[in-house]
Parts: sequence; C-alpha cells; structure tokens
Amino acid sequence: MRISVMSQMQRSFSIDLPSLIPLQLPSRRETHLWYVIPDEVKSTSLLKRYSQLLSQTEKDGVDQMRGDELKKNALLARTLVRTTVARYQTNKEVDPRSLMFKKNVYGKPEVDWQNCKNCNHQPLHFNISHTDSLIACGVTVHVPVGIDVEDKERKIKHDVLAFAKRFYSADEVNVLATIPDPEAQRKEFIKLWTLKEAYVKALGKGFSAAPFNTFTIRSMPGTEEGYSLCKTSEVTADPLEETKKCNGEWKFALLELADSHYAAVCIEDDQANEGAPMRVIVRKTIPFVEDQLISERIFL
Amino acid sequence: MASLSTSSLSFKAHSIQSTRTSQVLRKPLSFQPISFGRFQSSKNLRLQISCAAKPETVQKVSDIVREQLALSADTALTAESKFSALGADSLDTVEIVMALEEKFNISVEEADAQNITTIQEAADLIEDLAQKKPAA
Repeated sequence: MRISVMSQMQRSFSIDLPSLIPLQLPSRRETHLWYVIPDEVKSTSLLKRYSQLLSQTEKDGVDQMRGDELKKNALLARTLVRTTVARYQTNKEVDPRSLMFKKNVYGKPEVDWQNCKNCNHQPLHFNISHTDSLIACGVTVHVPVGIDVEDKERKIKHDVLAFAKRFYSADEVNVLATIPDPEAQRKEFIKLWTLKEAYVKALGKGFSAAPFNTFTIRSMPGTEEGYSLCKTSEVTADPLEETKKCNGEWKFALLELADSHYAAVCIEDDQANEGAPMRVIVRKTIPFVEDQLISERIFL
Repeated sequence: MASLSTSSLSFKAHSIQSTRTSQVLRKPLSFQPISFGRFQSSKNLRLQISCAAKPETVQKVSDIVREQLALSADTALTAESKFSALGADSLDTVEIVMALEEKFNISVEEADAQNITTIQEAADLIEDLAQKKPAA
C-alpha cells in the first residue's frame, strides 16, 4: 500500500515542503519500524530541503562526515528521525524543524519535549540505526526501544569464533561453535550482534552497563524467531529451568529488511501487557514523498 | 596543565600538543599534585598523566583503521580523525579494538573499548596499556 503525498503540496511550510502525513501512535507492545534506502533518494533538491530541517548541531554533524555518501546518510538519518517523530504529533502539524533533541545522562538521544514549542508531550520513544545502505528508526510508546540493523552480507575481518570468544557470552559461543557451515555461522553471529546491540540501546545506559559477555540472547525453543535474554549468571544446563529464570523484562524481534539486512528490535516489557505478543509494523519511506507498508508481524 | 609541560618532564610528539591538552582535560585520570620535594621517577610521573602517544603508534593505528574501514588511499587520516566520521559503526570499532589488541599484544576492557572515538585516543590507550604491563 503506497501513499503518495504529492497531493498535499498545496499546504506547505514556508520553505516550500509538502505537509507530512500524520500518523497514529503505536499501541502498547507495538513497534513501528521505519526505514529509508539511501540509494532510492537521488533528488538533490529533495536532499537540499531535508538539510533545511536540521538544527545547526545536526548540520555540523553531517559536515563532519568524511565523504559525500556518509554525509548523505547522516542527513537522511536526522531527516528520518525528525519527520517521523513530527508525524506522530496528534493535535496539529508540527514543523519537524521545531523538534528538539537531547541526550539522557548516558548519551542516549531522546526527544526534548519541554523545549519544543507547539509540541504536545508524548510518551514516545525512538531509536535509530544505520548501515551504508539502510537507515532505520523504531518508535514505541511508554517503553524504551532499541534497534540495530546490519547488512546480512557483512564480512567479519576476524575469525567469527575468535571474535565471539572475545566479546560474547560463553553460552553464545557454544551455540555458534555447533554450527558447522562457516557461512551459516557468520549469519548467526550477525543476528546475535544485532540482538545484543538492540538490547544495549534499549537499556540506554551505555555499553559499560551491559558488556556483551554478561548476557546471553538465545532463541526460544518452540518459536521460529523468538529470542530471550538471560543474564550470564542465570544460564543453566536445564532449558526448562532457564526459561523460568531468564527475565522476561525485555522482548526481542528479529526480522529481515529489504532482503538485505537483519534488523533487531528490543523493547522493555510493559507489565500491564504481560502475556501479550509483541507486534512490529514495518514501513519503508522517503520523507515527504511516500510511505510503503511492508509487513505487520507478531512475535511471541 | 601548562605549568607541567614546562617542568622537567619531557614529552614527545610536541606537534600534537593541543590534542594532548584536551585529552588530559577530558579524562580526569588520577592526577595527583606532584610534590617536587619528594623523589619520583619520571616513569611514575608518566603513569599519573595521560601522555600523547608516539607518532609511530598513531601511524600503526591509522593503518589498522584504514584497513578495517576499507578507506581509499586518498582519505587523509590524522590523529584527530573520528571513527564515526569515517563511517565506523560499533561493530567496526570492536573489530578495530581486536586488531589493536593483536597488533600491540594488549587487552582492552570493554568500557575502554567503547570510549575510543578517535585515532589519537586509541593510540593513547595502547601506550597506557603497553606501559602498565610488566616489563618483558
């Protein structure tokens, strides 16, 4: 389902951009995952308009990037965040330029509602991740979210097991070690990386709060793509025992985007919704131009 | 800081003085007031202050970064070059740290690994760690 906003060109901001089509906030336990493919955004005039949305700090950040491609991707990342968050404003059209951002005490970016004129304070959380060829932004309400995307074909310069032994938990190393095919092993390594990154980003306390070797993420038996988190101290030999001990405070979803990327989503479990499955709605977008609903899936 | 640099301690790599100053300001490492009346070997003093790394170390780090990020030969790298500005993501940073550990035979704590954001910082950390190892 494609929605074109070209007909919206009539109402525009002073800088001659079409309006943004508003969005309904995600429900609890729902994550909206938006992504942009940089290669699909070619119009220099559109990119110029995007750059007019950014704050001076963000523009400086884009300028710091070495090379045109990196600059473009940095611009698209900030544009995706600003336009997406602006679209969820419920009562009126909020100019994406008026959004303010800040970092929490650990450095995790968040919306600064207090300093935004015209914004209504929303319990909205977001997190972005990008690779050379894809930029993604996850949005939730009431609960923190972390996302990480990685190119499926990404090659690791080091031996995968050596890398895992150095950084992952012992149990994760054991799981990887049992995969005979090196390519399948590499893929599983990348999936684990995105899941672990997504967790640390959802936690929002910086990497030192959750070093990779202090927690294990493993697939849940009986589910296709369900994953759960165990603190290293909680992992036992008995899988049933473990399921009881591993905290269900964090929910995970692993998906594939655009056939080219793994994307991991991690949200904090909302006690009120315990037992309810996690839903992820994926949409591809080109800000101000079009949205495309890609998938809507439930993860147990 | 300025008064220290004019004391009897000798620092190498004068050309990156400005970076060093900002480095020391950012990391309030065990900076203890030095009592000049008491004898302290210059080696002990070095341990209390974060020194700028040797140019050779910076060069070796640059080579590793260049290889990990597959940078073209005409991408100029300086000590101040930021990993993120070069397009490194967290996986790249971890791979760079692993390569540095192998090259320099050191072991980096995860918290330190994530704090490295520039070539200079990596080089400084390497020299800090190499120094703290028992003499071979």
